[in-house]
Amino acid sequence: MDEDKTQQLPRRMTRSSASSSPSTSNNIVAAKVTSLEPLTINDLLVGGDPISLDDIISSFPGRSSQILEVVRHLGPLNSPMLPLFVYGSSSTGKTSIILQLFRHLNRPIVFSSCRTCYNQNILFESILNQLLLHRKNAANGYLNAKRCERPSDFVNFLLEALTNVISNLKEKSEKLISNEMTQGKIGNMIYLVFDNFQLVREWDKSSTILPLLFNLYDLLNTPEVGLIFISSTSPDTFYSNMGYVEPIPIYFPDYTEEDIRQILLRNQVNQKRYSSFLDVSLKSFCGITKQIDDLSAALKPLYEKYCEPLSDKGKGVAPNQEMKRRLLAHINPHIASSLNEIFKVSSLSSTEVETRKEEKWKGNLRRLEQSKELVSLDFHISTSAKYLLISAFLASRNPATLDASLFDSKGGSDNRKRKRKPSEKAQERKETLEQELLMKGPGTFPLERLLAIFQCLVSVAEEPSDEEEQNNDGLGVEGGNGGLMSDILLQLSSLCNSNFIFKGRSCPIEGSTRYRSTISEDLALKVARSLEFPLSKYLYRS
Amino acid sequence: MEQENYKIKAVNLLRSRICDPKFIFINESPESNHSKLKFMISSSVTEACNNSILLLGPRGSGKNAVLELVIQDLLQEYPDSISVMRLNGLLHSDDISAFKEIARQLCMEHQLLFSKAASFDDNSQFMVAMLKECGLAHKTIIFVLDEFDLFAQGKQRLLYSLLDAMQSITSQAVVLGISCRLDADQLLEKRVRSRFSHRKLLFLPPSIEDSQKLLMHMLTLPIDPSFPQDYAVEFNRKVQNIIEDRGFLETLNKYLNVDSSVKHLLRFLFCAVSRMELQTGFLSRENFEIAFSSIQRQPKLECLRNCSILELQILVCMKRLEVKEQNLCNFNSVMKEYKSTLTSERYARHVCLRAFEHLIHRELICFTDNRGQSLSVEFRPVKLLISSAELHQGLRANNSCPPKLLNLMDREG
Repeated sequence: MDEDKTQQLPRRMTRSSASSSPSTSNNIVAAKVTSLEPLTINDLLVGGDPISLDDIISSFPGRSSQILEVVRHLGPLNSPMLPLFVYGSSSTGKTSIILQLFRHLNRPIVFSSCRTCYNQNILFESILNQLLLHRKNAANGYLNAKRCERPSDFVNFLLEALTNVISNLKEKSEKLISNEMTQGKIGNMIYLVFDNFQLVREWDKSSTILPLLFNLYDLLNTPEVGLIFISSTSPDTFYSNMGYVEPIPIYFPDYTEEDIRQILLRNQVNQKRYSSFLDVSLKSFCGITKQIDDLSAALKPLYEKYCEPLSDKGKGVAPNQEMKRRLLAHINPHIASSLNEIFKVSSLSSTEVETRKEEKWKGNLRRLEQSKELVSLDFHISTSAKYLLISAFLASRNPATLDASLFDSKGGSDNRKRKRKPSEKAQERKETLEQELLMKGPGTFPLERLLAIFQCLVSVAEEPSDEEEQNNDGLGVEGGNGGLMSDILLQLSSLCNSNFIFKGRSCPIEGSTRYRSTISEDLALKVARSLEFPLSKYLYRS
Repeated sequence: MEQENYKIKAVNLLRSRICDPKFIFINESPESNHSKLKFMISSSVTEACNNSILLLGPRGSGKNAVLELVIQDLLQEYPDSISVMRLNGLLHSDDISAFKEIARQLCMEHQLLFSKAASFDDNSQFMVAMLKECGLAHKTIIFVLDEFDLFAQGKQRLLYSLLDAMQSITSQAVVLGISCRLDADQLLEKRVRSRFSHRKLLFLPPSIEDSQKLLMHMLTLPIDPSFPQDYAVEFNRKVQNIIEDRGFLETLNKYLNVDSSVKHLLRFLFCAVSRMELQTGFLSRENFEIAFSSIQRQPKLECLRNCSILELQILVCMKRLEVKEQNLCNFNSVMKEYKSTLTSERYARHVCLRAFEHLIHRELICFTDNRGQSLSVEFRPVKLLISSAELHQGLRANNSCPPKLLNLMDREG
């Protein structure tokens, strides 16, 4: 009995609980110390301090009906259940609520996420490892408890392990009854939880694994097992040509605007000010997305902006009416522009982001009056890679028949001559072409064409533009051509690897590999600008 | 404390009944599949002959449960002359693992040492030899092949060698195929079909009266010392009232119209029972009503109700493109439509792209090609997964949806 009372560590955490507990590092240290003890059946519990149902409900605003529904379906101690299917879009608290509920109920679960267990063998092995209380370590050579490649082996091992665990649990609860202890009952049931279940559809074309998991309850035929599937897509998206008895659906709807407000208000120092901030900003942001993680990321910088006019001593007090108006006037122009920034992913460190955001805001404001603000590239690649990127972009965008005229000795000068007054028919054709371009996306091209264009571009760029720069550029000419052309295939493959250029399979007719540029026009223009290369001159506008 | 206890006990009893297929399908009447099947198998056991039977019926109609009951009975009657091999098409549809599993179960049954390393050939020879031995010892082997249609994929080597071995006089085996495909016997190859005796048992879903009887059977508490007498009587009276109620019958009818199999009914029952109030300890009409509404879901509409305005705008634009009979559309063409229809409060392109991706995650739209990474998201053709009626309904149900959007949806061109 003493062993049972040793320190229980929270075995697993969701995103929210991990971020909310400040003492994670302590836990890790403690976990390292205790990790050498053999696992007991108690390690199948979620762990952590016992938590009451009311605490769970209050810590998940707007989720009380769902929480109660799950509790009702799980039922009282030792009551069997049919499989549950918990679904709802991302960041609606499905996983955290299930885990917290099991912490509250203090019943053993086997939790496996289909995201970390990314194929069926790993999923099987992870479930068996947990059930067999197996821990990978140096002594067993980090091996799994059982090796199973086929579903049939898995079901056999699973049945064996389950009967073991269940008899273990029964023994234990009988001991508790004979000791007349009411505390710490964990019951006879064991629950298997499958998180991120929607990912299973992509494994192995889901032909065998999906029906297997859905029929697992009938296959096992053990009433002491409860199955819970957590998925971000609804049950009707799980097609299977062999059918199954559907599990019982429990739906987690997205948060309403009011719920979102409650959630965002938690963990805020100055509740009143934040709520007046949400009054002005939340509604327009909810028009774009209702996902809480997107929203909180987008609102954070805006709130800092909102607080800017306040002096240091004013920060502690709740804002009065007049102050609110002033803050509103201050923030209003920023809301519109930041709405369009909401999903921007920045690769820069946070301080840099701050300053750049500043610039961007100014830029956005200015954009209303002025022409486009130029933004420089966010990453560094070599000059030859940049040329390669541009030439791939051109090869994808321009029709191959135009190459000759575009890259004649006087780069692009030909272009101007070809301009004629467009006839009506030409206009029509232009429209259909445009439509096609929208549909088809960038075209593919063989390696030879890419290299030819690349060579043209490099020679154009390095040739001193006849009259002006004859003397300045001598150095570039000497070293340049050979330097830029070397390792070009290496550069190409690294661009392919970083997904700037897509490398297709070899074409069955021509037999050669075809490439496709995946970058957008904006990015291409940016790259060209960094090289001071007149890209627009070479772009064929249909 | 004591009071709470017996109420919890009642819930637990009901729930374990629902989860226990054996309790549901006990039905000893002479016309029932149970007695027919029992007769067939026991006669082939006593007369030492070979037999093969197909149990057909929709999913969740109790084929497996009835078979389990029969086997359980027979094992009590003839404990020494039956051994049961259970295979499942989901797990053993390939020949190698099927023979391996048979060998494993045979070894378990007869206390032999099972070798994991045995080859396919070894295993199949072992099976044939065992069949012969058992035949000589007058022991019947019952092969239960669940998901029988899956065994009929591929070369059907397992079925052939099983049925072929049964052709000899010495062997003594029964092959039971369970399938939810009514044409399962048509899937067999000619050489297999000719060796198969075409006995079929059809499992039909119960009629509404039978379902009612089943409900009564499932929900009445036993009048015995395990529950206080007055509580059990009161509970049973309430259950009877509910089941005979007209409104309840209507709900039940509506529910069973979708699928009247027993398993489907049990889902409903489970939802209702898990909603039982532990304070009162009785089932009520509301429990069933709420269970009905919570189990009949309309996932697409729920999804639409959750969409933000921008996501709805994109959906409407796609619908308009569909009405215009533009059969292929991708993000770029949707954006073109978006720019031409919505003049005020437009969002930037990349914001729309993210909203578009959210829609893909919600599975309201999907890519039409499966080729994957060759194109970026903007260019891949997509299609809507909801009808315009659904979109209409969804727009109305979404309370943040501006009325202008509804107009746009209705207006042509």
